[in-house]
Amino acid sequence: MVAAAWICLFAPLAAAAAITLAGNRLSRPGAGYVATASVGAAFVAALVAFASLLGRDGEQRDVSSTAWTWLSAGNLDFELSILVDPLSVLMMLIVTGVGALIVGYSIGYMDGEDEERRFFAYMALFVFSMLLLVQSGNFLMLLAGWGLVGLSSYLLIGFHQERPSAIAAAKKAFIMNAFGDATMVLALFLLVQQAGTLDYGGTFAQAEELASNGWVVNLIALGLLGGAVAKSAQLPLQTWLPDAMEGPTPVSALIHAATMVTAGVFLLVRTAPLFEVAPRIQDLAAGLGAATLLLAGLIALVQTDIKRVIAYSTMSQIGYMFLGAGLGAYANGMFHLMTHAFFKALLFLAAGIVIHALVGEQDIRKMGGLRRLMPRTWLAFLVGGLALAGMPPLSGFFSKDSILASALASGTYGQILLAAGLVGAFLTGLYTFRMIFIVFGGAPSEHVREHLHLHGRKEGPFWMTATVAVLAVLAVVGGGVQIAGVWHPLADFLRTSAEPLVEPSVAQDLITSAIAVALGLAGIAVAWWTYAVKRISPPRPSAARLTLERKFYFDEAYDLLFYRPAVMLARAWGNWIERPLIFGSISGLSAGTRGLARGVSDTQTGFLRTYALAIAGGVAILALVFVSVRA
Amino acid sequence: MTTALIFLPIAGALVVWLLPLRRLWTGSLALLVILAEVGLWLNALIGFDFSGEGLQYEERVSWWSDIGVSYHLGLYGFSLWLTGLTAVVMACAIGYAFWAGRERPRAYFGLMLFLTGAIVGVFAAQDLLLFYVFWEAMLIPLYVLVGVWGGRGRAGATLKFVVYTMAGSLLMLVAIIVLGLEQGTFDLVDGGTSSSTWVFLGFVAAFAVKAPLFPLHGWLPDAYRESSPEVAGVLSGVVSKAAAYGFLRIAIAKFPEPTVDFRIPILVLAAAGLVYGSLLAFRATDLRGVIAYSSLAQLGLITLGLAASNDLGLDGAVLQMVNHGLLSAALFLLAGTIERRASTGELALLGGMARGRPALATLLLTTGVIALAVPGSTAFAGEFLILAGIFQEGWAWAVIGAGAIVLAAMYMLRLISAVLHERRDSAVSEAALDLRPAELGVILPLVACLLALSAWPAAISDRAFARDRAEEAVRGEFRPAGERRLQSEAAGWTGYAPLRARPQREPGRLTDATRRHAASHHVSRVIHRGHFADRPLSGGGAER
Amino acid sequence: MMGPSITAYLILAAALFTTGAVGVLVRRSPLIILLSLEIMLNGANLALIAFSRYHGELDGHDCQGEDLAVAASEVVVGLGLIVAMSRRRLDLDVDRLTTLRG
Repeated sequence: MVAAAWICLFAPLAAAAAITLAGNRLSRPGAGYVATASVGAAFVAALVAFASLLGRDGEQRDVSSTAWTWLSAGNLDFELSILVDPLSVLMMLIVTGVGALIVGYSIGYMDGEDEERRFFAYMALFVFSMLLLVQSGNFLMLLAGWGLVGLSSYLLIGFHQERPSAIAAAKKAFIMNAFGDATMVLALFLLVQQAGTLDYGGTFAQAEELASNGWVVNLIALGLLGGAVAKSAQLPLQTWLPDAMEGPTPVSALIHAATMVTAGVFLLVRTAPLFEVAPRIQDLAAGLGAATLLLAGLIALVQTDIKRVIAYSTMSQIGYMFLGAGLGAYANGMFHLMTHAFFKALLFLAAGIVIHALVGEQDIRKMGGLRRLMPRTWLAFLVGGLALAGMPPLSGFFSKDSILASALASGTYGQILLAAGLVGAFLTGLYTFRMIFIVFGGAPSEHVREHLHLHGRKEGPFWMTATVAVLAVLAVVGGGVQIAGVWHPLADFLRTSAEPLVEPSVAQDLITSAIAVALGLAGIAVAWWTYAVKRISPPRPSAARLTLERKFYFDEAYDLLFYRPAVMLARAWGNWIERPLIFGSISGLSAGTRGLARGVSDTQTGFLRTYALAIAGGVAILALVFVSVRA
Repeated sequence: MTTALIFLPIAGALVVWLLPLRRLWTGSLALLVILAEVGLWLNALIGFDFSGEGLQYEERVSWWSDIGVSYHLGLYGFSLWLTGLTAVVMACAIGYAFWAGRERPRAYFGLMLFLTGAIVGVFAAQDLLLFYVFWEAMLIPLYVLVGVWGGRGRAGATLKFVVYTMAGSLLMLVAIIVLGLEQGTFDLVDGGTSSSTWVFLGFVAAFAVKAPLFPLHGWLPDAYRESSPEVAGVLSGVVSKAAAYGFLRIAIAKFPEPTVDFRIPILVLAAAGLVYGSLLAFRATDLRGVIAYSSLAQLGLITLGLAASNDLGLDGAVLQMVNHGLLSAALFLLAGTIERRASTGELALLGGMARGRPALATLLLTTGVIALAVPGSTAFAGEFLILAGIFQEGWAWAVIGAGAIVLAAMYMLRLISAVLHERRDSAVSEAALDLRPAELGVILPLVACLLALSAWPAAISDRAFARDRAEEAVRGEFRPAGERRLQSEAAGWTGYAPLRARPQREPGRLTDATRRHAASHHVSRVIHRGHFADRPLSGGGAER
Repeated sequence: MMGPSITAYLILAAALFTTGAVGVLVRRSPLIILLSLEIMLNGANLALIAFSRYHGELDGHDCQGEDLAVAASEVVVGLGLIVAMSRRRLDLDVDRLTTLRG
């Protein structure tokens, strides 16, 4: 089983290396097949690991394996080790499963692209990095995976190098993630100092001791939360995610919907023992999740780029996951992570089919009436949208409502967050179906009539439509692994990794489900009236709309607070310190030397009598000294 | 062995200077000699006993016995790694120069080989006067290399370089003489420690100028800009490490009390250099400027680690010394190749080099990404150890260091983007070629070493000090355990906050803490070490 | 011991020395400076002889003998220089001879 886990980890890396080294000798589609095959092999290996894990009892579902000591200093050893337990195996399955589907989809999407090989190398590198993150057995490996995932994201967002907007978006994503890395690294320093180890087992065992130390656990948890917030694009580090849509659609699907952005949630669940002894920080995480889900939902209402709507909805749904994990409903949070991976990837990939068919157009205002022209894609969108809005019996219903039920069961604070979550449910229905009705409803728009380019009767290449179909099926049945109160194999499976802090009762579950579904339907209804039937014109209060369109001015604030001061400081230091230091020091030295020389040369007057006086004076002084010393 | 490591390149230099060969033969001979040096070093590496203690490959001949000067050489773990760094970087530099073609090749290659021997001598010398001899022998070829084969502004650059380093060296000479006479011997291993502040400062001045440490870096930007790429790479990659080495071997080990007294000022200067260098790199307008200021920042970081003087900091500093040496050399050589193609190093005029030049793009991207210390890379490993070490001394330094991580991302990505990504008014033509095989041949080994280290940084961090006890080695002045006079009895070492006492780790054994955790969570962790194999625990200790 | 006490001799020697010193410092003609130097030397010689007589030893006489020889040689050289200067029609005024300024 451990061997399977190692194979799962290294297969994509091998593919990335192979594609890079083969260069032009590998054909472009060949690179795609190699990448897909490697991720597929990783999925098979993950299944093997999963199966053998199931074959073990609860207590033994926790296997750690070390390859070699990666870094060591004195008493401290940091190993390249992996941990195979239910949580990591679940993530492995999601990453490799959805990953294989998306990489396969890319074979069709990126067909004909000049730099296709580079794309697949980067995608394989990403899958490796993500697997390293989820399989890590200690914090240092987690951080290594964390950073490499950020790197792959940078490479993939900036894939279309000729677009300055893509490059800028890539840099922004990397730097904001680097900020998260910095806070995590500080948390790790504290851990090294206080716990003396970075092993999961070792640190969690000392969690109680650390908690007795006052602020220490809070700082550690805060640092980890900082990294999670940056990676998962939650408040206040969320500005990079919408810009990341500059990358190709499969990248948005894999990295910015299904896997990388969910790494923050994974972190919260994995390090639950540390967060549990820092309850204020855990509450903060839940609060940030709730705030983000509202903020993102509101901003999504005014977006005109199809990918950005889905991006903000991702931000919002991860808010739900943070809410769940922050309240201690770990299994429910992970459940939503899984179903979200399915229906969000579905939505992105279906959007990709639309974009591909419209030859690169992403503005929804130019679309319309695609329902009859691309019926299967419309069906996929419908399935994804309903799942996203949490309509039964699709997967999103079960997962989202389980989180809301946990919120209800978590005391007053939880109930405040529940209110936010319910408002979010309304917004979700509204913005999702706004998008669907605008893109697919009504009569085909002019742009569509001119530019729609279908492959004969098919709506897209085989690889694209097949993978979307698979994801649609998953989005429908994915909820089946956990029906609250009735059967919960997922929660039981994850129990050994992370014991939940809150278990909602069946009654609470039914109440929240009912209200959430009702609100979701209300949102869909409002969207229908506004955009499909066009009876109520959408409201236009200009100030509020402008705020939403400017994404609450976060970008401007960060520019003012961080970027400009850095530039000004650098310029000031360059002028006031560096220039004098480099030029001044040497010219100062030469001027000083010259001045000294001039001063000394002034004593050489050329007058005989001066010299004679000097001799006389010197002798007189010497005589005085001689006499006084002897006396 | 050590004498051979030093005098093989010097002998090669003499041969190159004397034999009237043509350019091709001269260059080939020089390359052959330096590759032989690398081979010799590998031989030394294989024969080195990392679990042993004290000096290895020791050689000692009495020189001036009345004042206690001897020809005393030897290598410790960290000196071995630094020697290897020298050999590898010089090999790549000589290879690059051979391919690029330099005027007066006999003089040039002779000087480069002589420089190699001198630098290895600095790392191996265990006698203060011998150290000084090699230190000056290292600087003289550099003056000539920068001054004769440099760019347009080389006269000013050389003048600044000479004046700064001369000042430092003279202060160090005074300090050496005072220390030697005070102790009665100039030997580093035999001599004891001293608590004289002025002598300490004399040494620190010399090393602070050479490293450089803010604010004594006035010579840095011009020297790095005006020298030829491989000389800049050697300056930044290897010579600065000689200064850091001196700081460790002499200033910290021999002056425990002044080190504690001056810890805060040194940390302030190092942290200032880190932030200052990063910010100026962020706004530098040319390739060489970015790399030069990032070098200043990295040396500040290394000094932070050395000043922390605990296991983490010292191991991290040694690892980062090797990392930065390789990175700097690779970056300067890449900058050289880019400047050849675009005829300029100005970032505003570059751009679009990624299109059609996959090898260049991949190597620059890989090197740049490792240079910004992306987690998982060897540079990150070094930085992590250093900052974790300095965190034990004070959290503020580590926060500053963490901030520098973000700054490094900013300036490195800016560099990569400016060179590789498209730009409207780029001076790079479509016809500029991708990396030629010769260029690949000199840059790829450096990048390959970096990638190998990224997979296994413990190769260096675990093997830099005897039995991986860095703090103990420094406190015991690098003497073998039998002769060690730990300073615990003396007043000196009160400033070091040790890590919380932890139980010794034994492979394969469940610690008490883990057992408690297991009991409370109904989970038994089967912890084993294996190489991709699922072996069951056998009794108390599984074999590694 | 007949004759005046040593004090008188010393006072005379001091007076000679001072006169000579003032002459060296104040006068402008090189010839007069040379003359003043001779007076200084004579003053010093007188002091040496006086002390030698006082202590009853011959050391002072020895020094004075050397001193006379030095004085004579120095006068030869100095006069030779002055003659050479006047032959070249140089101004015999030390304040005007300043080619060796720094």
